[in-house]
This record gives sequence, structure tokens and C-alpha cells, in this order.
Amino acid sequence: MSIEVDHISYTYMAHTSLENKALEDVSFRVDKGEFVALIGHTGSGKSTLAEHLNGLLHPDEGCVRVDGVDLKGKDRAAKEARGKVGMVFQYPEHQLFAETIYEDIAFGPRNQGKSPEEVDAAVRSAMAFVDLDYDVFASRSPFQLSGGQMRRVAIAGVVAMEPDYLIMDEPSAGLDPVSRDNIFSQLMKIFHKRQMGVILITHSMEEAAQYADRLLVMSGGKLHLDGPARDIFTHDRETLEKLSMDVPESVKLADELRQQGLSLKGTPLTEAELIRAIERAKGWKAC
Amino acid sequence: MEPIIEARHLSHTYVDGQNQEMTALKDINLSIMPGEFIAIIGTNGSGKSTLARHFNALLTPTEGKCLVGGLDTSVEANLWPVRQTVGMVFQNPDNQIVAAIVEEDVAFGLENIGVPGPEIRPRVEAALETVGMTAYAKHAPHRLSGGQKQRIAIAGVLALEPKCIVFDEPTAMLDPKGRKDIVETVLKLNKEKQITIIYITHKMEEAILADRIIAMNQGHIEMEGTPKEVFTQVDRIRKLGLECPLAAEVANALQKGGHKLPPILTHEELCQALCPSK
Repeated sequence: MSIEVDHISYTYMAHTSLENKALEDVSFRVDKGEFVALIGHTGSGKSTLAEHLNGLLHPDEGCVRVDGVDLKGKDRAAKEARGKVGMVFQYPEHQLFAETIYEDIAFGPRNQGKSPEEVDAAVRSAMAFVDLDYDVFASRSPFQLSGGQMRRVAIAGVVAMEPDYLIMDEPSAGLDPVSRDNIFSQLMKIFHKRQMGVILITHSMEEAAQYADRLLVMSGGKLHLDGPARDIFTHDRETLEKLSMDVPESVKLADELRQQGLSLKGTPLTEAELIRAIERAKGWKAC
Repeated sequence: MEPIIEARHLSHTYVDGQNQEMTALKDINLSIMPGEFIAIIGTNGSGKSTLARHFNALLTPTEGKCLVGGLDTSVEANLWPVRQTVGMVFQNPDNQIVAAIVEEDVAFGLENIGVPGPEIRPRVEAALETVGMTAYAKHAPHRLSGGQKQRIAIAGVLALEPKCIVFDEPTAMLDPKGRKDIVETVLKLNKEKQITIIYITHKMEEAILADRIIAMNQGHIEMEGTPKEVFTQVDRIRKLGLECPLAAEVANALQKGGHKLPPILTHEELCQALCPSK
């Protein structure tokens, strides 16, 4: 069970003066139950790649398969395969449209042909997942919510379609720290419960390090690095910098502490890891 | 010295779709001096952007006053002088670019306010040089990276020679390199060109570069002070739904584990506190 990206290339406006090669021979596989972060500079091809993963775009060369089915097909199997991949676009709250939160979230599952009872159950469980109280919020207008809440409603709309794979394009952009942490804690809950395959597109190295097991690093339409987050943030720092990327703040701070003589071990990917590493280096706590 | 921006008992109330009054800003009192670098932090909906939009008269107070360079923003005759004093840069560079060639985009504002032709070119060139984009003058903006586009947006504001620029989360959509470039550009405008900076952000590592931090909560100013005064109160900042820079958070956690440390804000300070031998 996986999304397989098999040697895909894609060119915008091919054979015109505006021709722009957006993807060049990209290959990787993301299994169900895997949490992957896709990083890369602006214009590196991340979003174009994402649009290939649920068949919004089809590659010029190569193919994308979901659970073994090529998304390019016109048959029922291809349509079903495309439906297994949920997509949360950038600023998904801009796509809210219905009069009530219930109706907005119900739109997707209803379009999937679910019965009213099934739709109701899907909306309730999606709202519970993103921590919006059904009795309080279901009949409210989505447009009176705070930015963080609106984004949770938009994500609930995608979750309600019960996708096996979830692609999220910068779900925390423009959110304050608490709203950001809320969204990710809900996301991790869904991820663990449903064992989805998640691809998180982000410009935040801290998010990538904290949540993803594996990193995909894009630049100039090509996939440059693919490996465990800790390995890449430890061994590929020069490459990351060359590709306009960076390492998490905690890794930088650990480096500076080492340069000042603290014998700190490992690559602390999060604040919590850094605190533990410092305590250990200072002998403040037994290992 | 006269403040460049002054809010006196400024409140802003609006009526929402269901005829309910919402108070976005409540009795704000604030003076910003020429040359200051102010960071405004606060959760979504705390009133940061609403406040910033008063500083160049995109919004006017429903109660109280907002003065820019001594001019009342709610007096219509003051609108243009106010907008020429305070420029704005927003989150999404794509929404701020209007022309198909970089230098034309930067010139757009100047043409709009009727600057004579011969004066336009030198001002565009100077603005592009300040943001480090001279080499891209003839390029198409849509081909540039996010950080480069944002620098073009800054150049467009800069060419109007404002005394103050408001940045509303200018790095929220940028990659690490783009973010670094914008932060450097902002610092340069403040330190070298003495432009007053008002910088709204959710990124605390950027906020600590300011001279003064204003933390907003539910439409009022909750905390105000130097980065050190504000960010060493880790628990209070957390209660506001915000976070502190990494070094301050780490120091706070170590302290809670029973280890005495001085107030810490930056990486350097944490290094000094933990590695006293050097």
C-alpha cells in the first residue's frame, strides 16, 4: 500500500516561449503509515509534485501509482485511486464556502456518494478529530471563526473523506504558535489512528524535524535528497544550505554549544531533545 | 523628538455579518519614535494587523486618535501625506506585484503619485540596490523566488521614500534562505537608512531583533518592553498563546529542572551560561 512516483517529469506551457520544466525525473515511494516531509525552496517544484499525487496534474513522462493503480487512467479503478489521496492546499480556509460548518465538512463525503447517515458519521468524527465540539460548532458559520479554527474546519473537510493518504501544503503558514501546535497534534492523532501516509510540505525545518520520519528535498524540479530526517540534518548540511534550506534551530544551537566546549552528543531535532542533551552533557540527570 | 506614530485611546469596533459589535482594538496608547524597530506579536485575532492598518490609514479609529507625523489619520486631507510617511509590506509577495518587469513594478508607486519622469529612474535604481536586486531589474518577477519577490515588493515601497515601513508577516511564506534575506534587508533599512520599522511576526527568532516588543492580546497591549524584558517571562508569554525564542525556552526548562541560570534570550547567552570556561 503506497504512493509510487515513478520517473515523472512535467513541463508547464511546453513548446511555448514560457516553457518551464517544473519536474525532472522524480522518483520515490511513500508507504501507508509513513510520515514524510517534503521541503525545498520556493519554486523548487513541491506544489507541482503534490498536484501529481492525486491526479490534478498528470506527468508528461513516467507515472504515479496509488496502491498499484496508475492515476492517469479514465476507468473506475483510477478514479477510486485518486480518491484515496486527500489534499489540503495552502490557506485551505480560503476554500470554505458553506453557510454552516456542518455543510462545509459534509460537502466532500456527500460528493463521494455516501448515505446521509454515513455523511453524518463522517462529519462528526472529522470534527472530533480536529477538536471542534459538534454541538457548539456544527450549525455556526465558518466565517466567524478565528484563523486557526477556520483552518481546522478546512482540514476536517478533507479528513471527512477518509483518505488513505494525506498531502498537506504548508498547513501552519500564518498561524500563531498555539494554533500551529493544535493543528499538528490533531494531525498526529489522525495519522496514528488511521495509519495514513502523510506528506507534509513545509518551509519550517523545525516542523519537518519534529514530525516527519523521512525527508524529501527538492530543488530545481529534481529530488536531491531522500532519507531519514536525522541523517539528513546531521550529514547533509552543506547540501541543504546550497539548496536554500537549513537545519532546525535546535541543531544550530547545539552546534554553538559544542563550539563553546560543551560535549553535547547527537543531533537534537527538537527543543525537548536539546534540553535532554544539555542535561546529559552537564551531568544534571542520569541517562 | 516627536513620535512618528502615536495612538491615543485608539479603539476600533466593527459590525459583523449578524449585526453584532466586535471590538478589535480597545483603548490602545502607543508612541513610536523615528528610527525605532518595533516587533508586534500576538495570536491570530489578537488585533496586530488591525492596529498596523491604522498606521497608514487603511483603517481609521472608531474612537480615539491615530497620529502619523503629527497628522490625524481620520482627516481626509491627511490621507496622502500619511500614506507617504508609512509604507506597508504584506505576507504574500504574489499579491503585491503588478508589473511584468521588475523595474516597472518598483516604479509603479512613483508613477502613481506623479513623480516626474527623470526622478523615477534614480529612485528605482537606489531602491533595487538597497534590497540587493539590481541584477534583476530587467527580469520578470514571476520567475523569481519567493524571497526575491518579497524584496521587489519592499523596493516598491522603498522607492516612495517612506519614513516608516510596516511589515505584516513578511516571511510567513518564504523558505529559509528567503527568510534570512528579508530579515537582513529589514535590519539594513533600519540601521543604515534609519527607517522606522513595525514588524508583525509569529517567529520569535525574528522578533528578538527589534528594539521593543509589543505583545497584543484580545485587542489590547498585554506586554511591552525590550525583547529581554518580554521573552524572559516564558510562562506569561505561553499564557498568551505564544512562544519564546528557543534559547529562552531551553533556559526556562533547565531552570525548572532546578538549575540556576541568568535571564537568557539568545544562543550566545545560553552558550555563555552553560560553558563558563570560555
